[in-house]
Amino acid sequence: MSLFWKWAIGIFLVLLLAVFLLLCKMAGSPKDAYGMVRYALPHMHRGTLKVGDDAPDARLLALDGANHFHIRERTGARPLVVIFGSYT
Amino acid sequence: MVQIYNDYKDHADFLTVYVREAHPTDEWQMKSNVKEDVCYAQPKTLAQRVAIANDFIKRFNYPIAFGIDDIDNAANDAYSAWPERFYIIDESGRIAYRGGMGPFHYNPDEVRGWLAGRYGEVKHDPPPTPTGASATSALLPTERTPGTD
Repeated sequence: MSLFWKWAIGIFLVLLLAVFLLLCKMAGSPKDAYGMVRYALPHMHRGTLKVGDDAPDARLLALDGANHFHIRERTGARPLVVIFGSYT
Repeated sequence: MVQIYNDYKDHADFLTVYVREAHPTDEWQMKSNVKEDVCYAQPKTLAQRVAIANDFIKRFNYPIAFGIDDIDNAANDAYSAWPERFYIIDESGRIAYRGGMGPFHYNPDEVRGWLAGRYGEVKHDPPPTPTGASATSALLPTERTPGTD
């Protein structure tokens, strides 16, 4: 390998390390930096639903842990704002 | 999000769907989770999900209607929801708004904008600086302290 390419690869690796260290500082730790990068990767932006599609139905459990209902049971009379998320 | 709910609950219905955890202790736990004492392993049973959901409701006195995704993650898969996402379903049962995937593209202001476009804008004075325990949960994004994600 020519000297030019060795230097180019070396500088690229140093820059990559610098970016990673900066991300670690911003995110708080290497593990958090890795997690943040994963969120940004294209494969994470999955899903094929589009505006105009029929909203899928799904069965949900109520907070009492006993009763079930369906998402579509809550639609019809008014718009339904659905907030998907978790505690952590 | 609770503010948006309070502003528009007379015009639209709201439903929170609790899906699989984003930062459980046995996967990618964030430092902010430890700081805010939100430490849970990824639920393996529906009963565990129910328990965590009830913890959340109790801690934040969360007023919005709540449903828990089955342990097979059917709702999460159907809506590509994880870790967090907004949807608005119109009266005909179609997707009227599909939010971006959280955390970077999770934007409550877009939900407010959609509702404001239909029902008018509701303005508020700027909120005071939050003190004490604040939600790191994706379910209360407007109450996050910067840098705790």
